[in-house]
Amino acid sequence: MHLPVILAHGALGVWDEVIFLSVAAIFLIMMGISWIRSRSAPFDETENHETPLYPNEKDRFRLD
Amino acid sequence: MKRRFIRTKKTASAWTERLGLLAALLLVLAAAPAAAHGYIVRSIPENRAVLERAPARLQYWFSEGLEPEFSSITVRDQAGNTVADGGVPDDNRALLAARLPTDLPDGAYVAELRVAFASDGHVITETRVFFVGQEVGGVSGAAASDQADALEVIWRALALPAGLLLLGTFALYGSVLLPAWGSSAYRAGGLPPRLMRRLSAVIAAGLAAALAGNILAILQQAMVLFNADIGQVFAQNLWSIVRVGTRFGDLWNARMLLLALAAALYAASLYFRQERPELVRPLWTANAWALALAVGTFSAGSHAAGSLLWPWAGVFVDWIHALAVGLWAGGLGALALALPVALSPYSGDTRRAALLAVLNRFSRLAVVCVALVITTGLYSSLNWIESPADLTGTTFGGALALKLILAGGLLAVGLAHHVALRPERYRRWQAVARRVGGFITTLRLEAALALLVVAAAGLLTATPVPTPDFAPSAPPPSASQTVDGLDISLTITPGGPGVNTYDVLVRQGGKPADDLAVRVQMADPALDRRGVWDTAENAGDGLYVAAGDEINRAGDWWALVDVTRTDGTTARAAYAWAISEAAAVLQSRAPNAFNLLALAGILAALLWAAYPSARRLYARLDLNPATVTIAAGAAAAAVLFIAIGVIVIQNTQAQYEATLYPPPTIINPTLPDADSLARGRALVESACAGWTGRDLETLVERLPRTRDEELFFAVRDGWRGLPPCDAGLSDTQRWDVVNAVRALG
Repeated sequence: MHLPVILAHGALGVWDEVIFLSVAAIFLIMMGISWIRSRSAPFDETENHETPLYPNEKDRFRLD
Repeated sequence: MKRRFIRTKKTASAWTERLGLLAALLLVLAAAPAAAHGYIVRSIPENRAVLERAPARLQYWFSEGLEPEFSSITVRDQAGNTVADGGVPDDNRALLAARLPTDLPDGAYVAELRVAFASDGHVITETRVFFVGQEVGGVSGAAASDQADALEVIWRALALPAGLLLLGTFALYGSVLLPAWGSSAYRAGGLPPRLMRRLSAVIAAGLAAALAGNILAILQQAMVLFNADIGQVFAQNLWSIVRVGTRFGDLWNARMLLLALAAALYAASLYFRQERPELVRPLWTANAWALALAVGTFSAGSHAAGSLLWPWAGVFVDWIHALAVGLWAGGLGALALALPVALSPYSGDTRRAALLAVLNRFSRLAVVCVALVITTGLYSSLNWIESPADLTGTTFGGALALKLILAGGLLAVGLAHHVALRPERYRRWQAVARRVGGFITTLRLEAALALLVVAAAGLLTATPVPTPDFAPSAPPPSASQTVDGLDISLTITPGGPGVNTYDVLVRQGGKPADDLAVRVQMADPALDRRGVWDTAENAGDGLYVAAGDEINRAGDWWALVDVTRTDGTTARAAYAWAISEAAAVLQSRAPNAFNLLALAGILAALLWAAYPSARRLYARLDLNPATVTIAAGAAAAAVLFIAIGVIVIQNTQAQYEATLYPPPTIINPTLPDADSLARGRALVESACAGWTGRDLETLVERLPRTRDEELFFAVRDGWRGLPPCDAGLSDTQRWDVVNAVRALG
């Protein structure tokens, strides 16, 4: 099967296209995941993590 | 206090303006007409070669693929008359070739190359010279310019920083501002409206600049490819042709699509902020991924795409570099613009607490990004800079040095911020910072320096890379023979392992012979393997052309040419030559120790960047002994099975190859030329009685899959109904018989 080389420089032939499209698909999926997660996630990460990434209260300030 | 704050703002603004002007000035001063990042890796003939007679064709191989519609070659004689022209053949996008007339008189010839590289659309014009007969004084070629195109520098300096600013803004919002300052009290975006408005303004400006830069890009590309002015580009819709007909256009389409997606998400957040305020946050958070992809389109058309060293790795490293710069420099720019608005209601310790909350988070992100920027930048630079002379003696080296100097200043300011913003040191350093207008001013200085670095990166991207020093190439194998009144010349170009062109030039009585049937076959006598017979097409002027990839290793090879006249008689020309790796077209280069070290540095930086997430994941894991044992066992088994699978596949392939083509036990030492065929035919008549009939026909039918050693054994021992030839034949005579029998096929 002949696939036209559209996006890539051709070093890997048609695999260029597969890699390009796979990377794009992964990023678009991540985009969807970040969308869904951010809809319900609380703003203060110390609220929802048993082991917060940065458990330093100086890293948090409620801006008015 | 208020007066001081206002004065500080003006000072910072003036700083930014001055640095911006300096950046623009540097970029414009560095810009001039033509640019490219590919180069010639092999040329036949070599530049300024003196040839006894004109070659059948000119061939120039490039380090990367070309745009066929916009690449051409024109050959002129001393008087300026066009004697030939050509372009990119269908079967090799990295080759520019022109067929030459066979009767070119002695003199100097100039090949004008106009080359459009597919990966980034860069166009170069370059002239190469060759001489037929003897060298002629006063004729010289011109190397391609190594300067960047001014308009390209401008659009790159506009679109790339804008893209990075957008990425940095969205990432800053989601990973720094919201965790540090976010509150559910603000339903639309989680941050106070004044801050959301400022960020929104930054995003709108970034989108406008990115889209404007991208539009400028397609216009500039059309101007370069068609050598047209802006009026012609619009009037004749040339930009649209570039958009749909080139690889630059494909990447441009992808980038515009992603920018349009980002703009649509942003517009949706504005539209829904009143009725569906909860949508603002997911819309902005998701947008960072679209921007990351848009930035990736720059990497796909970057210098790395044309690298001879692992182009795929180069593209991904360039992308990681751009993403890290976007998160760091883009985020810094957005932060510098957002802080004054965010902190405006505060003073004293409250202001300090608010500032530290966000800067501590950003500082951790920036440190990881800086590590990635340094390691990936080092790797990318080592792709092109092979010696200190490349840094000082080339335009690319100058652009790189400029970027490094600016990046050094940026790192110094960033490091000072990282040190000063530790809570235990903040008060002491705050006093120092006040002398220059406070931390917001120094942050703006860092952001302005980041802008300069990104602008310098735009210049670097538009500047051609230094051409590596190639080892002298071996000349292509070429030889002539006279057989049955025909002068048969064969030239194999480039003449190394890989795809080659076979040019057969046939003359009869000193005139080109065009009414012949010509076929070509390559044979590897040491492995007793032969390629298929390639039928050569008549290209006029007695030239017959074929191509193939039969020559797959360096060593001794035979080339057989059968020329059949209209009366059915066939003349055989046979050539034996040593194929050298030095004649092959350079396709890639091996990594050196510095490349490997730089790659290891990138992996270490990536692991460091992933460490906090890995630590959190680790904390969530169920680490009871049974689970750990099962997981470790499964991982070990998976590795073991994969390793065994790879070994088994390799062994099977090797066995299959050995079964198909076992090493011959006896090697044909006799070149099957016309003399050998004549001797063999005579011996078949005189010493191989009984070599007729159905069994001989069967043997001839099987010739394509019969090796020379099998034929030799058939001649010596007999085969089916064919009796052995005369036992008194010497091995040399038997090989003549083998060659004659093979010629029956």
